[in-house]
Amino acid sequence: MNQMKPINASIFNSRKRNNKIGLFLSMTAMTVGMLFLFWILSVLFLKGFAAINWEIFTASTPAPGSEGGGLANAIVGSIMLIGCCTLISTPIGVLAGLYLSEYGNRSKVASITRFVTDIMLSAPSIVIGLFVYALVVAQVRHFSGWAGTIALALIAIPVVVRTTENMLQLVPGSLREAAYALGTPKWKVAFSITLRAAKSGVITGILLALARVSGETAPLLFTALNNQFFSTNMNAPMANLPVVIFQFAMSPYDNWVSLAWGGALLITIAVLGLNILARVVFREKVQG
Amino acid sequence: MPDKHLSSQFDSDLNSLCSKLLEMGGMVESQISNAMHAFTEMDLESCNQVIEREKTVNDFEIDVDLACTEIIARRQPTARDLRLVMAVSKAITNLERAGDEAESVAKRTKRIIEAANNPGINVAEIELSGQMAISLLRRSLDAFARLDAIAAADVIKEDKLIDEEFRSFVRKLIIYMMEDPRIITPALDMLTIAKAIERIGDHAKNIAEFVIYIVKGADIRHLPHAEILRQASE
Amino acid sequence: MRTVFNTNETQEAQVLTDTLLDDLVESNPKIAKNALEIKDLNFYYGSYQGLKDINLNIQERKVTAFIGPSGCGKSTLLRSINRMYDLYPGQRAEGEINFYGENILNPKQDLNLLRSRIGMVFQKPTPFPMSIYENIAFGVRLYERLSKGEMDERVEWALNKAALWGESKDKLNQSGLSLSGGQQQRLCIARGVAVKPSVLLLDEPTSALDPISTGKIEELINELKLDYTIAIVTHNMQQAARVSDFTAYMYLGELVEFGKTDEIFVKPKRKETEDYITGRFG
Repeated sequence: MNQMKPINASIFNSRKRNNKIGLFLSMTAMTVGMLFLFWILSVLFLKGFAAINWEIFTASTPAPGSEGGGLANAIVGSIMLIGCCTLISTPIGVLAGLYLSEYGNRSKVASITRFVTDIMLSAPSIVIGLFVYALVVAQVRHFSGWAGTIALALIAIPVVVRTTENMLQLVPGSLREAAYALGTPKWKVAFSITLRAAKSGVITGILLALARVSGETAPLLFTALNNQFFSTNMNAPMANLPVVIFQFAMSPYDNWVSLAWGGALLITIAVLGLNILARVVFREKVQG
Repeated sequence: MPDKHLSSQFDSDLNSLCSKLLEMGGMVESQISNAMHAFTEMDLESCNQVIEREKTVNDFEIDVDLACTEIIARRQPTARDLRLVMAVSKAITNLERAGDEAESVAKRTKRIIEAANNPGINVAEIELSGQMAISLLRRSLDAFARLDAIAAADVIKEDKLIDEEFRSFVRKLIIYMMEDPRIITPALDMLTIAKAIERIGDHAKNIAEFVIYIVKGADIRHLPHAEILRQASE
Repeated sequence: MRTVFNTNETQEAQVLTDTLLDDLVESNPKIAKNALEIKDLNFYYGSYQGLKDINLNIQERKVTAFIGPSGCGKSTLLRSINRMYDLYPGQRAEGEINFYGENILNPKQDLNLLRSRIGMVFQKPTPFPMSIYENIAFGVRLYERLSKGEMDERVEWALNKAALWGESKDKLNQSGLSLSGGQQQRLCIARGVAVKPSVLLLDEPTSALDPISTGKIEELINELKLDYTIAIVTHNMQQAARVSDFTAYMYLGELVEFGKTDEIFVKPKRKETEDYITGRFG
């Protein structure tokens, strides 16, 4: 007797057919999505590549009408803004996530914090920019790199808080119990054991937050604004890539437009790089 | 027999072990019965039957011993089950030896018949103690089947009666031998037969001791009787 | 042993007697001393009572095993001894647990100090996310200040105690997670032993391990009991029979029977105990 025959042939066959249809539909959807993605990326690479040369990294943004020029000041400015943002948002975000996961857990303060964090995660970045404008820029009556940093931090912190808390929650309770059973005080369990165990996840969260703020334009419009010249003074308006792109892309000057594409490509590569780094870090730590 | 385990296979293994023991006991009982009949009737046919069937009894011993070993290996029995398996393993030794004694009775009887020198001594003591031995064995096996410690204690007590019968027969035999030395050869055979029966009584007593061990967990071998009765009725 | 004295003179005599008695117990190994005395212990998970009127003594430098079906309260009892339940609101214990005379259920008891004197190893091996060396040094550093050389010695000593030194001495700097399951559990035991507690609580330490690792750890328990008091919870009765000196059978939060392991497994006093260990449970 043939042992491989299905019990009910017609049900089996219709299931096979439905499976094929489902597979076909999902592949089609994926292809459509990927198509647009690749279209965007290819246009970006083609147009942006044309603008990439050594000058982009050495010369500052050109004045209206002048030839050539580069994005040096914008690149350095973006790096400084994002750097300072990291320095502020990492400790605040990680400690808040630590508190939510290890200490507050079910208290009223914790649930309010979580609620606020969730709101801020989905707040439009232009609203945050406006907020910082009213609070900082209007008070001192000038734009500054610090204001830009604050705005970016306000966007990054909720991301770090959320991912830190989630990653800490993934650490099994048995690990904490083992630490307590040795007589470890609570703070030390949280820092030396739980946080350490969730290290790779937390770092991933930070990297992803950075990737997010790298491309934010709206908040910087109101806060750091832009600077035509090379400057490392955080107290004054700071050049940065997103605003430069905004400014140059719609301009009538060819070299500006070309530089805008170059800048867009640079940002894309940076975000891509951060994402890949995040994955590598996560996978490496998980394995070993 | 023991109430149910989670593993019904274990239950059936233990039950089969006990059944085999009782079956072997029944076989030995009938061997002794036949041997006694052979002696009282001087029947050669019965002697030969007993001698032949002895082999079956020995096979039984090997069979049950193997079953005990397998249960220990597979089940790691504890408490009551452990005591049961240990007791069965020892009780079949006693049964096998009781079977040997029955064979001994048959062989000696055969010798007397073939030499045709039955001295015509009154052997009422042997007949009586033979019946008592069969009864004790039956009762000890019965106590085992019902796991009845009190009945077992009774068996232990009554073994003494067989011992007394044996001693009185020996005294009688000595007097006969002193009066007429020609009967010494068959008389010695009868002595062996009487001794064999006395030993059968002892084996029955041992089996009863194991019954108390299974039920009470107390190893009452070599204890004075009052103590045994006390342990059995606790 | 206390008689009531009235005057100062006789109070002195009383102190003297107590001291002499302690010395006698200390010097005479045949007099058994209790490391833990549990008196009228009741435990509640919220409104559900997990332990009912537990009274039992755990002798020092002996292995005491707790057996019983799931939900009988054996793990609850173990976790009361080092007050792990304090981590979870809603769980509370009433009664007394005297650790060499001191009641550790006292709310004033310093929990971290308690847990450094009474260690615990759990069912699932949980090496810390650090090197093997650091895993062991972590606990030691909480309470002792040792030089590098002394710490090296302590780590080697602890790993030797756990029969793991040979397998790990060349990779002390590798992550604890790189060890196999059985080795990880022995690392956790080494970690617990390194801080030199007097009592070790083992909560189903070999449930997650293969037979060979289990055997190695049982052998370890045999050696550890020369220096430490050990309480082990196990759902494997044969394991309890193999490793312990005393066994406690628990059912539905109550202590049904407690006695020497040999007696419990050959001639238990209670029918419930016999039913459980012979598998007549159902």
